[in-house]
Amino acid sequence: MNALHDELSVFAGNILGAAQPTPLFDASTHYTTDIGIEVYRNNYRGNLQDALAGAYPIIEQLVGAEFFRRLARDFISLHGSFSANLFDYGAELSDFLMGYAPAHSLPYLSDMARLEWACHRAYFAVDAAPLELVRFTQVAPEEYANLLLHVHPACHIVASAFPIVEIWQAHQPVGTFEIDLARGGEIALVIRQDDVVTVRELTEDEAHWMNGIMQGQRLGEATDATLNRHPAFDLQNTLLLLASLGVWTDFTLGELS
Amino acid sequence: MKNQQVLSLAIGSLLALGLVGNAVAADTKMEKCYGVAKAGANDCGSKKAGHACAGHATMNNDKNDFVALPKGTCDKLAGGSTTEASDMPKKGM
Repeated sequence: MNALHDELSVFAGNILGAAQPTPLFDASTHYTTDIGIEVYRNNYRGNLQDALAGAYPIIEQLVGAEFFRRLARDFISLHGSFSANLFDYGAELSDFLMGYAPAHSLPYLSDMARLEWACHRAYFAVDAAPLELVRFTQVAPEEYANLLLHVHPACHIVASAFPIVEIWQAHQPVGTFEIDLARGGEIALVIRQDDVVTVRELTEDEAHWMNGIMQGQRLGEATDATLNRHPAFDLQNTLLLLASLGVWTDFTLGELS
Repeated sequence: MKNQQVLSLAIGSLLALGLVGNAVAADTKMEKCYGVAKAGANDCGSKKAGHACAGHATMNNDKNDFVALPKGTCDKLAGGSTTEASDMPKKGM
């Protein structure tokens, strides 16, 4: 590697607190090397902390600002930033929270972080125009089974053993806290309409079918699999609901079965 | 494909929705959805005074190593709150 790369590696090590300050650091002006690096380090941590607070506003509300600061600091000490975009930072928070002892009293926190990360990615996902439904006139009915429905890039499904959709909604401006954590799990559908990220609950059969579609299954294949497992699955309502949420952006025809 | 009729009905209803246009599409939002617009968080300089550069050079962020307990809206969730908040050591004790 070249000299600049080596020097930057040493400096990065300084910022992460792992190495001795490099003698090449220019300390001739206002600060000693140690203090200069500490300024940089504090700003580095502060920016990452703000990025986490921006991506996880409900986690911050759930645990309070003070606890969130500590949690963020512990996370940052384990996870460096590897993207020039701060909105890429923080993907591992859900995994981190699973093993984070100080938050053990809040077992739903990790799943809430997964949901918030999905919302965060949804917000920054590329735009896609909703499918013009009249285009289905171009498809012969015997080809319906081979339809591959294309899903909006902002669309995510997050399943949890806790009522994560209710918890999410309680933290919106019009939300109310009437949540019993023992009521069971919920499956969240995350989607963006215009610039607004929306979270909605999916039933088990809807989610089963939608997961198949998102994995690239053809319409017939996904519907058969879901009806085998959930005989009461209502394809018509599910398709209409998802169309109204702007989930469908396009379709193509898969190979004939 | 044993569910041909199911598919025909479902795509048929999508088509019908498409033919009557977007006004009806909006009406099919049967339930209230909550949405949130996020603020961008990609400034390289933090807006918060706490990280605002040289003035805080000698502040060590690692110093305030308190035994923190979650003290947020988690208290409002039935069965999900921590009750130990009042056990935190107070100043002067």
